[in-house]
Amino acid sequence: MNGHCTEQQLIDYAFELASQTRMHEIRAHLDSCEACRAKLDGLKSKFASLDLLREEMGASEALIAGAVAAATQSRRPAILRLWARPWLGAVAAVVAVGVALLVVSTFGPGRKASQPATVESFSQEDLSQRTLDVPAAAEPEKLVAADRSLRSNAAAPTAGWQPQAKLGGGVVAKSLAAPAPAELTLADAEIAEKPPFAPASAIELVVLPRRQNVQLTIYNGADLTLVREQRHLTLKKGWNWLQFMWADTLIDPTSLSLEPAEHRDQVEVQQLVFPPRLRELGRWLIRSEVEGQVPFELTYMTSGLSWRAFYMGTLSLDERSMRLEGYVRVDNNSGEDYEDAQTRLLVGEIHLLDEIGDLARRQYAYDDPRSEGVGGDLGLGDAVDAYREDEKVWAGNILSLLQGDSRSLEERKEIIKEGLSEYFLYTIEGTETIPNEWGKRLLSFETDDIPVTSLYKYDEERWGTEPIRFVSFANDIESAAGGLGETPLPDGDVRIYSRIDDAKHLAYVGGTETKYIPVGEKVELDLGPARLVKVEPVLMDVRTENHAFDGRGNVTGWDEVRSWKIEIANARTLPVEIEITRGFDTPQWELQLKGQTATYEKYDVTHARFKLTVGPRSKEMLTYTVTTYHGAREQVLIQREQNSRR
Amino acid sequence: MGYDDRLEEVVGVVALTSVTDESLIAAHLRGDPAAFRELVERYADGVLRYLTHMTASRDQAEDLFQETFKKVHEKAHTYRGPAFKSWLFTIATRAAIDHVRRRRRTAMLSLDQETDCGQESGSALVESISAEGATDPAEELVREERKQQVREAVASLPVKQRATLVLAYYQQLSYREVADVMGCSLGTVKTQMSRALATLACKLPDSLSVTK
Repeated sequence: MNGHCTEQQLIDYAFELASQTRMHEIRAHLDSCEACRAKLDGLKSKFASLDLLREEMGASEALIAGAVAAATQSRRPAILRLWARPWLGAVAAVVAVGVALLVVSTFGPGRKASQPATVESFSQEDLSQRTLDVPAAAEPEKLVAADRSLRSNAAAPTAGWQPQAKLGGGVVAKSLAAPAPAELTLADAEIAEKPPFAPASAIELVVLPRRQNVQLTIYNGADLTLVREQRHLTLKKGWNWLQFMWADTLIDPTSLSLEPAEHRDQVEVQQLVFPPRLRELGRWLIRSEVEGQVPFELTYMTSGLSWRAFYMGTLSLDERSMRLEGYVRVDNNSGEDYEDAQTRLLVGEIHLLDEIGDLARRQYAYDDPRSEGVGGDLGLGDAVDAYREDEKVWAGNILSLLQGDSRSLEERKEIIKEGLSEYFLYTIEGTETIPNEWGKRLLSFETDDIPVTSLYKYDEERWGTEPIRFVSFANDIESAAGGLGETPLPDGDVRIYSRIDDAKHLAYVGGTETKYIPVGEKVELDLGPARLVKVEPVLMDVRTENHAFDGRGNVTGWDEVRSWKIEIANARTLPVEIEITRGFDTPQWELQLKGQTATYEKYDVTHARFKLTVGPRSKEMLTYTVTTYHGAREQVLIQREQNSRR
Repeated sequence: MGYDDRLEEVVGVVALTSVTDESLIAAHLRGDPAAFRELVERYADGVLRYLTHMTASRDQAEDLFQETFKKVHEKAHTYRGPAFKSWLFTIATRAAIDHVRRRRRTAMLSLDQETDCGQESGSALVESISAEGATDPAEELVREERKQQVREAVASLPVKQRATLVLAYYQQLSYREVADVMGCSLGTVKTQMSRALATLACKLPDSLSVTK
């Protein structure tokens, strides 16, 4: 090696990047060259500073839990359960035997000719149908467990739910009933009397099957949605831990509720624990006297789901009738996907003490556990009850009525009627899949030939100098052959179109927002300024008269007389009805109308309202004189009115 | 009965820590979620540190951390062994490189922009050090400044050189394993490493000692 080592050579030597031959050469040189050795030491010292970054923090348990949940459950909140590993092995073994027995019994020599001929033709749907059509009592428990993934793809009703239609996968709802008691086994071992303090390790967490079905009730007025879902949990006899995570969702953890749908006397949900240092995570402790699958109902509230009504009206050629189509758009920004959800929409405002979104974003489900009050003095179960007590105006009622079992079916109906007295519940037929960040528009109703009234209004004090067009109709049965008059119409956006020819070409007339329309009520839609109808008031004359004086000759009262001429021009090919409102700034006024084309009425104490019809492409003239009384002259008019009443 | 004994009695702890990575992957493919969890826990610190070095941002590293293990979960059936760690870091490296490229396309970075990891400086840093009760705040301050220099020096490397350096130096993978992770030859890895170190030799602070 000639001369000293370069820096690059020393680096390659220090990090063993050079070839073996080169390494030998450099080593030999370093043995004899003090300068290069010093240079190498300097480099090593410099690179030692890289070790400063070794002190960076490691991964937290929450991050690990989040990564596991995200990986295993995609965008769903993770429901995880703990159980003892040896038991899992035993179940796995029995599952294998059960499946083997099923195959033998299904495809064995004694099989009927009508059954599938080969294993290859045994499709998933076939398996689902066959499995689910087996009478519950005869269905092997282990088959249920083995077929869990197939079941999870088909929506199923819970006890007490009313599925609207045939569910997905060609599976009839009733055949998806939860496993019969015979499927469950009662283990001989005694259950420890004292509940466990906590699960031993996160390693014990196990992913549960997907939700069987889900029902959403969306309360738009409060950004609140009640979610009720059913999952089949596999329990062991004894104490079981169930973990629920709501990271990246807007679920309100204070509203979480878990109840067994069956075996209520043998399965008890004891407590909900929010472990320290783990955010957005709760664990239920469940005591079970049975082993096997048990359907559970999980209810909670979330925000981020909303819905809005839209209406599209199409006026007929003569503008005397209208076709109305109602739509509902459901938007999901809750952070959670809801598949095959039965969706119900509540019309009306509800009272809430807390915003669900705020509750969902809390660091701790019940505020800081060190603080006093809810979650502090009270047990967590008590806190849930307390919360529900507060919310019972609405949420509590709905929650309890939805959670009820068959024995309280009659009562639930009563509660529904009572609880919904000020509200109305829309149920979307069938089920809908609403992924997170998606919106879905659904047809709500469509009705032909609704009688409508077109009316133009002119009121300078409200709308300036342009007449405004209104279309009105009534939400009653008499008004429409069907669709209207049965339910209130939720508030929403309205777009009105007009047919302009027999070819059904449309022209946009106007749009507005409408408020909630109860059954039997009339609604008037403001479609904005009219371009083809003009109203021009002209003041023709003004004078004062009948002056009154006091003893010193000062004026104490007078009459003011104004003569108006209002020209109404209709450039449309249809006759129009118009309503003109005029104000006089005083309650003491008298009006004289000239001509017979219009009528008027006293609209309020200071206003008169004229009504007239203007033919197609024509003009009408409205002429009137108004006398207003001022000062001492007001008494003259008051006296005159009193006399006329006598 | 101690607390740990009581917990073991309750749920029956199984020591998965002694199981090989390959066995855990096999168990995961058989549907055992505990196995996947164990894999995540086993490599969480290493992957997170690696991604933090790659992105120079703890937040972005945590996002990529999730993305990495999601990919592991999804692609587990494609794993052919034998070195799970190399396979895992291959996924993490791809995620990190994709992230760096995406960021390059979408964001213009200021030359004097501080990284997320090193935003502390000046009085704020002194306060934080004082609050921690360090015996010598001045020494801690210098140390933090040096850390920041190192962090910036590593972050300034081209992404493949950075990945090579972090895998070889911080994750202590052999050059052969780094080559597997990076999907390139051993010679390429050595070249990348050599260039990275040459760059760092110019940028790293001279000494760890503190001059008072």
